[in-house]
Amino acid sequence: MNFCGLTDSPASIVNEFERCRCGSVTRVGYGLCLSCLLRSGLCPEEPQTESFDAALAEIDVRDSEWRLGNYQILEEIGRGGMGVIYRARQRHSRRIVALKRILSYHSDSRDTLVRFQREAEAVASLDHPNILPIYEVGVSEDGLPFFSMKFAPGGSLLHGRKVFRDKPRQAVRLIAKVARAIEYANNEGILHRDLKPGNILLDGRGEPLVGDFGLAKWIDATSDLTRTMTVFGTPGYIAPEQVRGPAGNLTPAVDVYSLGAILFELLSGQPPFLGEHAIVVIHQAAEKQAPKLRSIVPRLDRDLETICARCLERDPAMRYRTAGDLAEDLERWLEDRPIIARPVLPPVRLWRWSRRNPKLAGSIAACLILAAVGLVEKIASSRLSAILQRVEIAQRSVAVTSFEDLDEILTTSNSARSMTSAFTAALTQAKGIQLSATPHQIAEDVDPWRSEDWKKIGEAGNARMVLSGSVRRREGKQRVAIHLIETATGSVVSTWLQDGESGSDIAKALTTKISNVVANTKGTSRDTGAIVGRHDWKPDAIGETNNPLARSYCDHGKEFLLRYNLADLDRAIESFRKAVEIDPNYAVAYAMLGSACQARAQTDPTRDWLAQADVATAVALRMAPMLPEAHRARGGTLRRHGRLRDSLDSYLTSYELEPATSRSAAMLGDTYEQVGRPDLALRWFEKVARRQTQPLFADTLGNAWTSLGDYDKAEKAYNSAIIFKPDLPVGLLGLSKLALFRGDYKGAREGCEQARAKYKDNPEILEMAALIEFFSRHFPAAEKLYREAAAIDRAGGVEFVGSVRYLSAIGFIQKLSGAHAKDGKALLEEAHWLDEKELLSAPDNLRHLYSLAANYAAQGKGEAATVCLDKAIAAGWIDYRSTMLDPRFDSIRNDETFKNALSRLINKVQEMRRPRPGR
Amino acid sequence: MKAHPATESERNPNRFATTRWSIILSCARSGTVEEEARKALSDLCRIYWRPIFAFICRRGYSVPDAQDLTQDFFVMLLEGNLLSLADPGRGRFRSLLLKALKNFLIDKHDQAKTKKRGGGMQFVPWNDWMAEAPSQLSVPAREFENWPAERIFDLRWAATVAEEALRRLAEECESRGRRRMFAVLSKYLTADRLDVSYANLSASLGVPETAVKRLLHQLRGRFRTLLREEVSQTVKSPSEIEGEIRYLCAALATSADRVE
Repeated sequence: MNFCGLTDSPASIVNEFERCRCGSVTRVGYGLCLSCLLRSGLCPEEPQTESFDAALAEIDVRDSEWRLGNYQILEEIGRGGMGVIYRARQRHSRRIVALKRILSYHSDSRDTLVRFQREAEAVASLDHPNILPIYEVGVSEDGLPFFSMKFAPGGSLLHGRKVFRDKPRQAVRLIAKVARAIEYANNEGILHRDLKPGNILLDGRGEPLVGDFGLAKWIDATSDLTRTMTVFGTPGYIAPEQVRGPAGNLTPAVDVYSLGAILFELLSGQPPFLGEHAIVVIHQAAEKQAPKLRSIVPRLDRDLETICARCLERDPAMRYRTAGDLAEDLERWLEDRPIIARPVLPPVRLWRWSRRNPKLAGSIAACLILAAVGLVEKIASSRLSAILQRVEIAQRSVAVTSFEDLDEILTTSNSARSMTSAFTAALTQAKGIQLSATPHQIAEDVDPWRSEDWKKIGEAGNARMVLSGSVRRREGKQRVAIHLIETATGSVVSTWLQDGESGSDIAKALTTKISNVVANTKGTSRDTGAIVGRHDWKPDAIGETNNPLARSYCDHGKEFLLRYNLADLDRAIESFRKAVEIDPNYAVAYAMLGSACQARAQTDPTRDWLAQADVATAVALRMAPMLPEAHRARGGTLRRHGRLRDSLDSYLTSYELEPATSRSAAMLGDTYEQVGRPDLALRWFEKVARRQTQPLFADTLGNAWTSLGDYDKAEKAYNSAIIFKPDLPVGLLGLSKLALFRGDYKGAREGCEQARAKYKDNPEILEMAALIEFFSRHFPAAEKLYREAAAIDRAGGVEFVGSVRYLSAIGFIQKLSGAHAKDGKALLEEAHWLDEKELLSAPDNLRHLYSLAANYAAQGKGEAATVCLDKAIAAGWIDYRSTMLDPRFDSIRNDETFKNALSRLINKVQEMRRPRPGR
Repeated sequence: MKAHPATESERNPNRFATTRWSIILSCARSGTVEEEARKALSDLCRIYWRPIFAFICRRGYSVPDAQDLTQDFFVMLLEGNLLSLADPGRGRFRSLLLKALKNFLIDKHDQAKTKKRGGGMQFVPWNDWMAEAPSQLSVPAREFENWPAERIFDLRWAATVAEEALRRLAEECESRGRRRMFAVLSKYLTADRLDVSYANLSASLGVPETAVKRLLHQLRGRFRTLLREEVSQTVKSPSEIEGEIRYLCAALATSADRVE
């Protein structure tokens, strides 16, 4: 409420506004002219030949693209674990229903259908006023199963949850009802297993209806039907044991946990665990105690904190035994009776009694307490209005935060500082901008790309918007990325990329654009929520689609992509393909397809995947040149092509466009590690770690520490990779390599064997096994393994584990044995030719340069070998341990030039280990 | 077809008798305060709280004080004071409300600082109402700065009438599964025929152009009906609807809302 109560939003007071044909400038909703609207009421009414209803009913304006069975889809209203939910109309009865449809990404559709029908059957058997009734189960023309259920006009708690923020009693009352419904279902032998705000719908009177028993299963059922389900719940609301244990062991305590998480969110405004990735949240829930409710909202009653904490216990045995027990406690709280969860202290008991018996308790003490409560509320409300007033004043105020130097990953470098002052100077003179007095220095270890932090910065500078930027050197010029952020919501209002010679040039070029945006940006609601989830679909966003089906395929693809295993990677590719088939202009889906295909190229060395990735990425970039996902995909494909430096540029662009997600930062860490800058890699990983506690990129982090020679940290990182990437051997292989570098061949072999037992046919494990034998000079064993590897990929051996080309190793061993010296020589020549070929497209690829150098040495060309090794070092090669261990260098190991090169390498690594400047 | 087109209320005279203001007036006339009248008044207040709040703000009160005063004003009205003020002889709800509001503020001014807001009664659940029917009104700041409180009141009133009619139209479309149609067509409710690209609308809705024309026509007709119905709730008899709309139009026009 603003501007003396005339308008709802402060931004609705505007100076320049398009005048209506009638000359008036006052508008209401949909941009309609108020004056014209009123005057339309003056026109004499025309005789109505048909009623409004009849006209609407007669003309079939499709609210959506397709029909399912007897239903017309009206709009998408939500997404569940297995499918999408629509508002739909039954064709004959014209009844509005909610319709849930499963998507066809599962290969075995019959299996899916069975599962789906089971789900429907489970819900249909339930009859409770707070459980959403199910009407019909069917299969649509395209073979996809669906079911229809009661439509809840109040939407879900997902959208309604804000309402409860300051109404703890209402929230408790609601959850108590839901808990009773769950108690009933549990007693019927059905666990919900996926309770979350989106699954709790509200009817017209605001009564809760539990829907989407998507994962319900018979408690006594022996089949592992649900166990194998690809989607097993919703992070943030599922109990930790749901992730870990076999499905058969789950108890009603899983639903109690979810109820607690929802109650926690209703009361505090945020779920107990937050994180960008599903897996982060899951990990936190499994490893950490849930935060205390009152640490977030101190004014809440201590008993509510106790109830939530009891639900959110990691150990299921410590929670309420049943949902009924939870309901009981909630009801006790509502009636001001002592809760069971914990014995309460005597004074509290007295206070409760006084509230239950107000007439008897008309004591002075009680009155005093009441008065105190009233006072607190009053203070809170006047504080709110003070904030609102401050916002009014600060309409046009912008605070410039310190720039980040992306070359150094520092905000304190010279170029970062001078860019900050250039923009401060330029904006001071800009019209329509009120620059906040001092530039806000962001501490190095703070990551402002979280909404709450922007809010704090905004409040500190009394600014409505914050200008955040980064700078780096690019093709001899300076590249600046600017983001204008609305502090209240943390949302990015506008983004610019600008190249220029100097900071003041760039600042001048952007100032007018920035001040225009500041002047024209309407305030968005302050309550839109800080964290924009993956499912918050903004069709207007860059590269997005208007087609809900395409969108839903793309979403599922992204989910699959996060699971880090081959089967799901293929499913992801399939989903993205479907998305672009449905909407050929869907840039995000093309970009994701590009990313997925290049990831697939890692496990399948045929170049086919890479070519597909190239095409998809190019299409995405052409459609949406400012799409961060597209640049990220481009970074990935360039990297697979061996063009590491170019790949860095793409990843940097992607980061510049969207610093809020940690994915680009992680890929930058990964790639800097690859180009021999583990020091910079670690800085990027630090950035990632500030946003997510769970190390998704643990293996690369381990590689960076290995490169820098900190084996203890490396070991720790690899160990977490074993936990968090259970489908990939990267963690075990890292440990194996670490043992190898330590000279512990036995340990290295054991690690490799362990990986082999667990992951079977994986080319990387084979390569590692060969490398161990090769470096430990067990040549017959090494040759056998390298031959095996070469049979799968003749040109392989440089990209992943070590940089020993299979053919080069085999050739070296054969040449050494003497018996097949001639064959060996031929193989060495072929290996040489392969490296030369790679270097044509990526001349500064350090791995290929190293491989070439080692191959020269194997051929006995010592001088060429050292020259080439120097080039590799110049390009960033720092792996001195491999260089020391590689038997191909044995022939020149005692040469002074080689020794010099080696000591240069060691110095370089030591240099990188020095503490970072500016700290 | 009828030779003389009649308004809906003329065709159905009983319908008008049930509008809220006429109920209130008839109660006032008989000197009784019935539950029905109280309900009608409370419904009207629920819709027209914004003009009152805006008026009080313009009188120089801070936002929190204005919120409190608005609450008090409604509580006073609902306790029966407005009903006793209501003069069956003359009056539209709007003008009577403004008069009552002015008196109320004078009284409050006299009592200023001697009495805090009492009773703790709340009539306006601000956040709920705003969430339910948010106002999209936007006005030019420069011109607005000089308007007197009465004009602010009238402008806010006019906007409330129009937005309420729009809201009901949107609801009707929504309840018939035509939300998308409303979203697409609503911006053209007041547009000149020449400004509407029927071809584009036809493409985006997936229905023939002729159907778009008919729909838009129907939508305008329905809006007109709803607007008049909304106004009718605040006047004594159907004959006053036209006058009330004219008054609001004129209030807008004199509010320096024109090109000079």
